[in-house]
Amino acid sequence: MRSLEVENLTVSVEGKTILNNLSLNLPKGEVHAIMGPNGSGKSTLAKALAGHEHYTVSSGAVLMDGENLLDLEVDQRARAGLFMAFQYPVEIPGVSIANFIRAALKARQGEEDSFDALAYYRRLYAEMDRLGIDRKFTGRSVNEGFSGGEKKRCEILQMAMLEPKYCVLDETDSGLDIDALKIVAAGVNHMRGEDRGILVITHYQRLLNHIVPDYVHVIVDGRIVKSGDKSLAVEVEERGYDWIKEEMAAGV
Amino acid sequence: MKNENAIDIDREKGNFHYDTTYEFDAGIGLNERVVNYIADVKEEDDWVRAFRLKALDIFKGKPLPTHWATKDLENIHFDKFRYYLSKGQQPSRTWDEVPDDVKETFERLGIPEQERAFLAGVEAQFDSEAAYSRMKEDLAKDGVIFVGSTEGLKRHPEIFRKFFAKVIPVADNKFSALNSAVFSGGSFIYVPPGVKVKQPLQAYFRINAESFGQFERTLIIADEGAEVTYMEGCTAPKFETTTLHSAVVELVALKGAKIQYITVQNWSSNVFNLVTKRARAEEEAEVKWIDCNIGSRLTMKYPGVILKGRRARGEVLSIALAGDGQHQDTGAKMIHAADETTSNIIAKSISVGEGRSTYRGQVHIPRRLRGCRNNTECDALLINANSRTDTYPAITVRGNHNSVQHEASVSKVSAEQIFYLMQRGMSEGEAMSLAVNGFVNDLVKQFPMEYSVELKRLIDLEMEGSVG
Amino acid sequence: MSPVTTVNRESELLTESVFEQFQGRHPDLPPWLLQQKRQSWMEYRSLPLPNRKMESWRFSNVRGLGVGPFGLANAINGRSRAALAARSQDPGSYAGRLVFGNDDLLENSPLSRELTEKGVIFEPLQTAFSKHSGILEEFYMAQKSDLGSEKFAALHTALNRNGTLLYVPENVEIRLPLVSRHWAISENAAVFPHTLVIARDRARVVFVDVYSSSEASSRQFACAVSTLYAGAGAEVEYHHVQNWSERSLSFNTLTAIAHRDSRIRAFGMNLGSKFSRNEGHSIIEGPGCNAELYSLSLSHLDQEMDQRTRQTHRAPHARSNLLFKNALLDSSKTIFSGLIKVDKSAQQTDAYQTNRNLLLSPKAEANSLPGLEILANDVKCSHGATTGQLDENQLFYFLARGIGKRAAQQLLVFGFFEEVLEKIDNPELAEYHRRLVHEKFRNS
Repeated sequence: MRSLEVENLTVSVEGKTILNNLSLNLPKGEVHAIMGPNGSGKSTLAKALAGHEHYTVSSGAVLMDGENLLDLEVDQRARAGLFMAFQYPVEIPGVSIANFIRAALKARQGEEDSFDALAYYRRLYAEMDRLGIDRKFTGRSVNEGFSGGEKKRCEILQMAMLEPKYCVLDETDSGLDIDALKIVAAGVNHMRGEDRGILVITHYQRLLNHIVPDYVHVIVDGRIVKSGDKSLAVEVEERGYDWIKEEMAAGV
Repeated sequence: MKNENAIDIDREKGNFHYDTTYEFDAGIGLNERVVNYIADVKEEDDWVRAFRLKALDIFKGKPLPTHWATKDLENIHFDKFRYYLSKGQQPSRTWDEVPDDVKETFERLGIPEQERAFLAGVEAQFDSEAAYSRMKEDLAKDGVIFVGSTEGLKRHPEIFRKFFAKVIPVADNKFSALNSAVFSGGSFIYVPPGVKVKQPLQAYFRINAESFGQFERTLIIADEGAEVTYMEGCTAPKFETTTLHSAVVELVALKGAKIQYITVQNWSSNVFNLVTKRARAEEEAEVKWIDCNIGSRLTMKYPGVILKGRRARGEVLSIALAGDGQHQDTGAKMIHAADETTSNIIAKSISVGEGRSTYRGQVHIPRRLRGCRNNTECDALLINANSRTDTYPAITVRGNHNSVQHEASVSKVSAEQIFYLMQRGMSEGEAMSLAVNGFVNDLVKQFPMEYSVELKRLIDLEMEGSVG
Repeated sequence: MSPVTTVNRESELLTESVFEQFQGRHPDLPPWLLQQKRQSWMEYRSLPLPNRKMESWRFSNVRGLGVGPFGLANAINGRSRAALAARSQDPGSYAGRLVFGNDDLLENSPLSRELTEKGVIFEPLQTAFSKHSGILEEFYMAQKSDLGSEKFAALHTALNRNGTLLYVPENVEIRLPLVSRHWAISENAAVFPHTLVIARDRARVVFVDVYSSSEASSRQFACAVSTLYAGAGAEVEYHHVQNWSERSLSFNTLTAIAHRDSRIRAFGMNLGSKFSRNEGHSIIEGPGCNAELYSLSLSHLDQEMDQRTRQTHRAPHARSNLLFKNALLDSSKTIFSGLIKVDKSAQQTDAYQTNRNLLLSPKAEANSLPGLEILANDVKCSHGATTGQLDENQLFYFLARGIGKRAAQQLLVFGFFEEVLEKIDNPELAEYHRRLVHEKFRNS
């Protein structure tokens, strides 16, 4: 029950099947990495888990701590504890980060609960300090005019503030220089714990030097074709994806 | 929805009315008898009566501006309204003296509470006349005058007459003529030289009666170096029949004076709101109109500034929200008439459901002026597939020493934005509210705190029903 | 009682006898056309003259619209014919060219045999009316004008008798431009040039209309109509040079109709006339198309240039762009009034409209009315208007380098216009536009 279970998930976009019978089990307390070549379906998995309407689930199931995720709307999934760090975070003009995160937290509260603004800012500033985000950022509009690194750090900041049960990081390393990558990775590592499962989707092994996964899965043509420990990521980095495809073709 | 209860109360906030008995009633329809009745009960001087009767003639002679404006104007039946209703012409100075039903009305609207909290003076108008009017005593010592127009005409005729109908001539348009014929209520404010009124003065306009027309007349004069902020709010119960609100507001900012005029218009959806607002800014004076239109069936209102003195500055910040069945036809006018005058217009509109918002602007820089600048930005946000927006600016620049720029854009809240916000746990309605508030946020920031909170709440409830 | 005399400001062109006179001169018009003309004449007579209360004539100096002194143009003699034909070389190389003087055909440089064999029709209207009546009955004046000049469009239909029909069949591409050159000759002559370009599916064509007066000091009334149809996937490029004498009164109405996946680009160059009224309307009829309207105007003395445009989007997923640039000298005046109109059905529209005015004199006046009417919500629409001037620092810089004010203005105007001119693919045509601007400066 303490896991995010993806069972035989088939997902299509505009009639084209992208994920094909994909299965995955992410227990709490673990970090799993998903690697795969371009177009293999990595981002589709993230978006389908979050519930983007563009992605149609035609069969399979997703259970989050036993609850059927696919029955829930996007916001219900989020409030149930699923967080997705976007590959391309969206700009929300005119809405400051502070107000945005506060609105997200309030959406998780009961009707009668009061909101402790003082405690909120204390926490927000602490998390920002850890991620090396200037406090002036609280007043800036969400993602508007941010550099690539700033956007990704802002995603991790939200993740820290919202304390999700399961995190899906969709190519969080894309567009980051090594310093920004280290900061983001430190932020993610800080989130690791017994009560949280983390799924890191990436194209490169580089990120996994800093966020060391418990398991690595390789996804090709919408299916997980190989799983292993961290050494699999190193092997993929050195040899590329072709050998795995060849193994598949050979029926190994 | 977690805020649903609060929202329901808010939506209905102004939608109640009392069966009130009126001492004074000019009857139904508009004619000389009605105009004379108003002049009689107010015991006005002959020049005022003559002014009213002449205005009535001009009103009758002018056609509706339907060659450019909406045909919905033809649904106004001028012979079906009541043009004057009151319990008396003398406003009370304490809430205790206000008749119970009227007092209760304003208490439900939170006016006495706001007065205690942050206002320097309040005038509360109930149908045709002010029921309550009071200003803090220290302002009176400084020579500040803040009374209703009826009282202003009686007690300060020398100032009133000097400025009255000078910024907006009677014949400016059909509705300014109508107001000039039957005006009653509104504020008369005079701030002496150098006096800076720190807290806002507020007027609250309440329509209680059915098939009624409210025609307040406001005249604000800030003498040299004076400063004042004036805020107005308005509500009416929703009736099956139409209600007419047609005000005239004139501002005069003498040398170096500053006037800020804030409106949050939340009339019920049976109100035709046809208002003429204009200011004259003398040398180095500054006039800022903050104009928010949320309610009414049709609003036509284009606050303007005549930049009469060197280095005068005019600004219009406008927010319009048009929901189902609403047409917000708003905008701004900037008439440059002196060197180095600058004007700024920022207009944002949101059309929801079958709502329609229209921006009309006029910027005029005549020949021989130097160093004049105008900047105009209008942005429209369309929420639903059947929402509509129009933009009709008119810019005239003569001569090669001035510069003008105008930009407009139309956009919608993108599906990706909503997905992102929902992934953070907000419902679709909350996500939409947040995105829309973000759209107007940079403007709302310039409002006084109490009003920005009020506006945000109004937007939230308008957006709740717009999705799904 | 004193005798009542009515002075009719528009005596010549308004009297019933003008149409009878026209009919008498052209007894061989086909019956369908005569019928249409008679109807249009009645319409012209019944429609009111523009007044400033009309939104479509806001800011316009409508007093300048009297057509009183003008009358039907007379035929011209043989010597003038040859002289004018010789002066008609300017736009450069062409695939075919027609030269008209006072609406009579002066010269016909026909298409190559290759093109005629492919079915391309390039024909003066005087003969096309009967030779290609099928095409003309369908397309000739089929698009109603509604940007304000309805009265003058009716007058055009009634009294037009010549111009160009260009018909390009499916898949035919014509590389070189087709040119129609219109001259107005005698004092007070009224001319009615007409151009009809029909590009069938996937056809490609470039068309150039040039309007000018034989004598700079003469005065004429010109009322021109041009219509472009681009079929599915077709590409039409159109150039329009308005260079009537500066005492003239002129109207020009351009309608561009774009069908699925087509591309239309229209370039206008406005230099002449005392008062010119230009109406440009791009109509998006099919998804995926792209309609672009560009215009450059250089006005001086007391010229008034009145421009009204509309971009109508009736189909989704299409794009339209408009850029009108006006440079104003002396006490000239321009009016730009544009409207982007997006119908409910035209989702995913991208529509842009920009008007830029460069005021080069303290007495010049630029009016700008950039409008939007948006009934679909999933659109990207924007408009911008700026009115600026020759920066004093810039001018000082020029003067310090020994460049005089007029020369500095000219350089700046060229810079200002280049944004449009560089969009013209054919270098000869781009150069032609530049030369026209240069000449106007030389004569001003």
